[in-house]
Formats: sequence, structure tokens, C-alpha cells
Amino acid sequence: MKRALWLLALLPACREAPPPGPQKTAAAQRAERRLFDGAPPVIPHQSFGVACISCHNERGLEVAGVGFAPPSPHADTRGMSAISRCTQCHVFRATEALFGANDFDGLRQDLRRGARLYGGAPPVIPHQVFMRENCRACHSGPAAREEVRCSHPERARCVQCHVPATGAPDFARE
Amino acid sequence: MLRPDPDRLLRRDFLKWLGAGTGVVAFSCSDRQEAGRLAGSGAAESDLHWGKAPCRYCGTGCGVEVGVRDGKVLAVRGDTSSPVNKGLLCVKGYHLPAMLYGRDRLLHPQLRQPDGSLRRISWDEALATVAGKYAEALQAHGPGAVGVYGSGQWTVFDGYAALKWCKGGLRSNNLEPNARLCMASAVSGFLAQFQSDEPMGCYEDFEAGDDFVLWGANMAEMHPVLFSRILESKRRRPSVRIVDIATRRTPTSEYADMYVEFRPGTDLALANGILHLLVRENRWSKAFVAENVVFRRGSEDLQQIGYGCFGEQAERYTFEDQAQEASFEDLERFLAGYAPGPVSDITGVPEAQIRALAEIYADYGRGTVSLWCMGVNQHVRGTWMNNLITDLHLLTGKIGRPGANPFSLTGQPSACGTVREVGTTCNRLPADMVVTNDEHRRKAEQIWGLPEGTIPAVPGHHAVDLFRAFARGEVKVLWVQTTNPWVTLPNLQRMQRRPGDGRFLVVSDIYPTPTTDAADLILPAAAWVEREGVFGNSERRTQQWNKLVEPPGEAREDAWQIMQVARRMGMGHLFPWPEEDWHAPMFEEYRSFTLGTGKDLASYAQLQRTRGLLWPVVDGKETRYRYAAGFDPYVKKARGVHFYKAKGYGEKAALWLRPYHPPAESPDAEYPLWLCTGRVLEHWHTGSMTRRVRQLHQAVPEAYVEVNAADAAALGIKDGDRVRLVSRRGSLELGARVDGRGQPPPGSVFVPFFDEHCRINALTLDAMCNISKEPDYKKCAVRLERA
Repeated sequence: MKRALWLLALLPACREAPPPGPQKTAAAQRAERRLFDGAPPVIPHQSFGVACISCHNERGLEVAGVGFAPPSPHADTRGMSAISRCTQCHVFRATEALFGANDFDGLRQDLRRGARLYGGAPPVIPHQVFMRENCRACHSGPAAREEVRCSHPERARCVQCHVPATGAPDFARE
Repeated sequence: MLRPDPDRLLRRDFLKWLGAGTGVVAFSCSDRQEAGRLAGSGAAESDLHWGKAPCRYCGTGCGVEVGVRDGKVLAVRGDTSSPVNKGLLCVKGYHLPAMLYGRDRLLHPQLRQPDGSLRRISWDEALATVAGKYAEALQAHGPGAVGVYGSGQWTVFDGYAALKWCKGGLRSNNLEPNARLCMASAVSGFLAQFQSDEPMGCYEDFEAGDDFVLWGANMAEMHPVLFSRILESKRRRPSVRIVDIATRRTPTSEYADMYVEFRPGTDLALANGILHLLVRENRWSKAFVAENVVFRRGSEDLQQIGYGCFGEQAERYTFEDQAQEASFEDLERFLAGYAPGPVSDITGVPEAQIRALAEIYADYGRGTVSLWCMGVNQHVRGTWMNNLITDLHLLTGKIGRPGANPFSLTGQPSACGTVREVGTTCNRLPADMVVTNDEHRRKAEQIWGLPEGTIPAVPGHHAVDLFRAFARGEVKVLWVQTTNPWVTLPNLQRMQRRPGDGRFLVVSDIYPTPTTDAADLILPAAAWVEREGVFGNSERRTQQWNKLVEPPGEAREDAWQIMQVARRMGMGHLFPWPEEDWHAPMFEEYRSFTLGTGKDLASYAQLQRTRGLLWPVVDGKETRYRYAAGFDPYVKKARGVHFYKAKGYGEKAALWLRPYHPPAESPDAEYPLWLCTGRVLEHWHTGSMTRRVRQLHQAVPEAYVEVNAADAAALGIKDGDRVRLVSRRGSLELGARVDGRGQPPPGSVFVPFFDEHCRINALTLDAMCNISKEPDYKKCAVRLERA
């Protein structure tokens, strides 16, 4: 805690703009790397021969000459230890060619979609939280999309105020 | 090579992260527009209708939630309420929905014209054509001239419709599944020992077990989600050990506490070597054996048994095992030849490792789970190898309790539920019944309301012989559903058809494949959640799902196709249910076969409500451990196990004496390398579904040959070079992979079979298990050349 306060004190000096982005927009890039929103992204780089977690750690890592390695959103796999087997779900691209055309048009979430009870209320979480327990992976830091960037990442207990929407019908007494 | 040092960079990066998080960051205008376009309908996960279904691919049976909107599948997610996968999927599962939307989906029935082209026809014409061809062949040549070939991807409905139509309507036992190529040896293994198919344990063994002994199973790629359960157990309990017994290093080996490499086919000797040590050192459970085990011995004469592929056996292989009673003393004498020294010479496994394996099985305080799949099943003595693994558990009493069981994994989503339980093979009927048993046939005839004597008592052709008979023109009409034999059968050139051979091949599928290329009539099938279905997974879990979207074009489910043809052949009485509501009544009729047999299925209504249930389901309660007191309602004992299905063994299990036999073909001067074939994580079976998914295809776009670095160096081959692989049966050009994800030892190569443009089965040998008749895709001899 003491260390965090010390870091916060240094904040103004460390503020800097994100590195110049690639040609494609963030949204296009996101869509290109995911079959649909919720699918595991493919790996957009070649294997570096190191454990994925050495860059894609809890906070992500700026790797000189490569770019920002986004943090891993996975924290707890509830009895399913997949964390050490990243390539079980995330695969490299060996080619750009296709076997054949595919017309699948998957879920692309409206990133402003988290519903609020009223203007200043905390938005509910519009996606499954399982395998996305590290909220800050997508909601803060250089990898966060503008639309979902959190204004208060220093508040570590996100689900204290933001709850998952389940799509359950409204409450009614039987 | 880039090697970032996380410790050194962490602090600087953390600062940057905080800075970016609190700072004002400018994003371009075009990014906003792009975001708006890609937001599409602006749907959120919570706006979709989420239905449940088991995954379409392997036998694990992961629960999937399927997100649907406006008649389309838009997303899937792992079902956190599924006891199988607890929310996790593998890369294939996460990319499931795109499998439905490849642009070349088959949409209409198509009939092959004399010039080889395809003409679109109506369903009416298509169904009348199929009915006419079957009727014609039946009349002219009898029931031996027709056949149906399905798969472990058939839903229970498809399989049950095919079984009833074939055996009760066509009066032909020429009904076979591709599962004959896949887990038939596990079936004959369980039947020989327990007189009832399928394992006693369940996936909870992954949390309860201490030692996981993998016999030739690359679980990290083939059953990734189950492997994750084992890894999680290991993370929580560091005493958990994984033993990888294999013929090449795979991603699974990286996680193994002990890697045991044996020469192809010598696992028989290795297992006998372990049994030898258990017996010699008195490390077996006398009380358990006395109470629960009998001894049996079968035919062992290599000359008499053969391999099913040479000489006369290459036309038809009908060997039948002859059981004799045996005793513990016989076992002791039999094992005398399997001392560590000679076993080490045969297998190449160091004596210390053989002793370590024996110690694992001998340690009664630790739960041992043996796991196997194709490595053991696709084996010229696959049934024997299944028997020997289970023997290890019977001799040590490590069976029928949580965390101590022999557990066979399956590769198809309903290999168990449909093929093994419905009984869609040339000799079986539902719930462990067989056509060769008078009482069993009568029971089926009674349930089906058919006259006594309708079902023929003689088994039909097993899969390989069915296609051999089709190639000879002896079987005239064959209907293939949900499988791709023109890629998967061994020794493929046997399949070459001769012009004017009078054969008629009907193929139902969802995409064009080499099998539809060979078809005379192509029928478009509905896939996965485009229809209502039931699958049964490896752990006896029966899982139901509802139709969630309409199939494309005129595609229809396989069971519907069969029932329509049956109606047009005057066999409508077999399917007396209303066209709009036949799933539940058909399932209940099928279920009536199982009630009271120890294989009792849950009611359809209960299956609709649950995330699947493990049979036997009695009074609505599932059974996690079969034959086990306190778990299985059929066991009346207070403790221990009761193998109540094995009436022929006095309700005990049979421990079989099974010797080592060499493989059918071994490397020699001309063909100096072993060839092993198999799958990769990213593709499922022949890739007809997974290759149409961009992310999966781009990850592994084509087949390759894994070569050991020493062999590659000797031949002047580098990683990525084009090479030619040649066997006595065919040759193939493909890329070489040196030190890839799998590393075969010197003297052997590995090729995955998913690539229809690079069919490794042109090289494989159609040698098969003497009992199960399952082909051996893991061992034949090849030569490697620079292309």
C-alpha cells in the first residue's frame, strides 16, 4: 500500500502519450483478431520463445521494438487450470490464406453498452466475467479501448460497484 | 531472441500503465466511426438468447452456451454450470459458431450425372432415388448388398433411426460407424472384462486421483479441457504426478513427471512387464482378486490370428477369439517371460522406468487413473492392450473408487452415446445387446413391434470389410452420414472405384469433402444446433440440446432423412411419430431398452432440464462410479465393487492373459522409418468443419511430417523443406517439421490426418485388431526422401 502511494505521487511526471498506433484502427484490429467479441484473440506476433506470461502479465509490458503486450485478463479459472496452456485457446497465425470463404458474422458488442440505472450510476458488466477477472486488462492501460477506458483504475475492487448483467427477467413475486 | 526481463521492466511499465490510465488520451475520429460500424446491431452478450449444447467436436462433451439473435448464432461461451468443463473451452470450442457458416455449405440434394457433374434435385426426387436404390438392391441381391455407414458424430436420434431402419426394416446388419476406426478396441476390451461396455469412473477422477498414467494419449492437444483439470489438480496438490507413456514427445510430455518412450507396438510387453513385477514382488491385492476377479486366456497363435490385411485376410477378416478359463498360477507362469531385462530389450524402456511404473500401480495408498485413447485403440492388438491396462487395475484392486480407475477417452462427441449405447455396429443392439443372442433379438423385436425373426442373427461386415465389399461390388448401395471415409479409411487406394461397377453411394454431409466427391447422391445435412439432439460423452454423460437456429437452404437432419426413406420403402411403421414432434417419443422408446439393465438413461424431460446426467440414472439420480458400493444403485454390497453385468463370469471381472505380438509391418532397409498418424489441437478429424474457420485454418493450414532432427540431418532435410514420404501403398509430398510441437524419436515420423489435400491414409496399412477389427493407424513402415 505504501508503495502504491509512492507511485501515485510520481504520476504527473510519468504521464505520456501512447506510442504511435498502427495503420488499422483499434476496433478493426480487435475484430480482426477475434472471431467474435468473447472469442479468444489469435496471437498477432510470431513466437518469441519465452513464456507468454513474461510479457502478458497482470499489467502488460512495453517491449522495446515490438509494442505493448496487453495484460492477461485471466486470474482465476475456477478449477480449470488453463493459465499455463495459453496456446490451448490462443493460436498463432501461420498463413493469411483461407481454406474457403466463411459468412459468419459474430457478436460485436457496442462498447458503450453497459447499462446504467441513471446518469451517474456505475454501469453493469455486459459480458461474462469468467476468464476476464482482471478488469484492468481491458479497461485501463495502453491496450484499453477509449470507449471502455475506466476513469478510476486505482480502485482495485471493480465488482464492488459493477455487477454482471445476466439477462435474467425482472424480479416478480411468485 | 527477445527475452524481456519482467522484473526489471515491471516498475517502469507499471508507472506507464498508471499514467496512461489516468491521462487524457486522444483517439482518432476514424477509430470512433470504425467502432460504430463494428458495433453492428449494438447487441451485448446479455441481449442474446443463450441456449445450451454440448460441443460438436470431441468426446469430452464440454458444455457450451450458444448465443443466438435473429436466427443466427453470434457467439458461444463455455458453460460455467457444466460439470464437464466448468466454463472452459479449447480453441476449437471457442470458434464453434463459424463452423456453421462456411460459404460452401451443402444446401440442396444433388445427383451425379453420367458426365460426372452434379444436378440439383428436389428432396422428393432424392428420397425416392435412395429408397429405389435400396429396394432394388434388396430385391436383386438380398440384405447383404446394402449398408449404412455412420459415425460417433451421429446424434442418438440419427443412430437410433439408422439402427431401427437397417436391422428392423432392411433386415441387414451391414450397419457400421466410423467409431470402428476409433474406439472399437475399448468396446471389445470392456466387454471382454466386464461384459458391459464403457468405463466405471468419471471425470471427477481427475480431481480425486494422484497418479495419471497416460498410455499413448496426447491429452494436452486431444482432450485439452480434461488435461486442464489434471493440471489444476497438480497445481493444488503438488504430489499429483503425470506419467506420459508414448512413442514421441508431445505438448503433453512437457507436463509429465515421467516420460516413458517405448518402441511402437511394444506397450503390450511393457504392460506385461509391470504385471510381472506386481506378481513377482507380491504387490497385488489378494483379497480384491479373490472376491472380484476370474482369469481368462484367449487365442495367442500369431499364424492363426494374423493382422487382417495380408493374403486371404485382405478380402475378409473374420477371426474370432476363443476364451479359455485360466488361473492365477497360469498368470504367474505366463508372466515369467516378462522380467524387466527382456521387457527392456523389447520395449527400449530402461528397467528403472519399468520398476517405477510398477511402483505407481502397486502403491495402494495413491489413486491411479490410467488414460488412453487412439494410441491403444488403433493397434493391431488394441483389445489386448485395453485388457492389459485394466488388468493392472484389477490385480491391484485400483478400480471402482474415486481416483482409481482405468478410463478410456473418446474422440467423437457421441461415440459412447450413439455408437456404443444405441449399438450402431454390425453386431449390436441397444444397451449391450447383440444380434447373435436370440433373447436380445426378441427383446428388440418386441419393443419395435416386429415379428420374431425379423432381425438377422448373423453380424454384418465390420467397417473395413464393409468398404472392401463395396470396392468389390458385393455391397451395392451404401449410405454414408456424418463422416468422411475417403479421408479416414486406412490404405485408401482400396477405395478406388471402377467405372460401371454398379455401386451407388449416398453421402449426407454439411460440406463438400472427398467423400461427397465420390458420391452418386449428396444430401445436405443440418449441423449441431440447427437441429435437436442428444450426445453421450466419454464419462457416460447423456446431454440434450434443442434446435436453436434453422439449417441453411434445404438442409435436414440425418435422422429425418433416414425416416423419410424408410417411409418411401413402406417401412413407416418403424417411425410412428408425428413429423413435427418425434424426438421425445423416439428417445423414450430407445430409453425403454435401457431401463433395468444397469445402463438406464434419464427421461427426455430430465435431460432437457439438466447439464447432462451420468448413466445409470435410477429414480432420477445419476451414477458417478459404476459397480461401486455407495455410488451405483445396482450394487447391494455395503462396500467394495460388484461387477454385476458380468453374468458369464459369475458377476466378477475377467483378468486376461495377453501376450506381446509384433506390429504387422516394421521398418526394414527399404522402408526404414515408423509412421504414426494422429490429430492436432486446432483441427478436428478430417478438418471438414474446423478448416472452414479462419482462425483454426490459419493456425495449422496444412499437414506436415514431423521428423527427428538426427534423421533430418542425415537426409539433408531442413525444417520447412518439401519432402516425399513413401510406403508400400502410396506416396505423398508434404512439408517437413523438425523440432516442431511434436518430436518423434530417431527412426520415426508423425503426420496428422486432417488435410484432405494431403491424405496420409494413402500410405497407412489396413492391418487391424484381431478382436475389435479396428485398424492400426499408428504403425507402418515408410521411407523419407527430399522432394
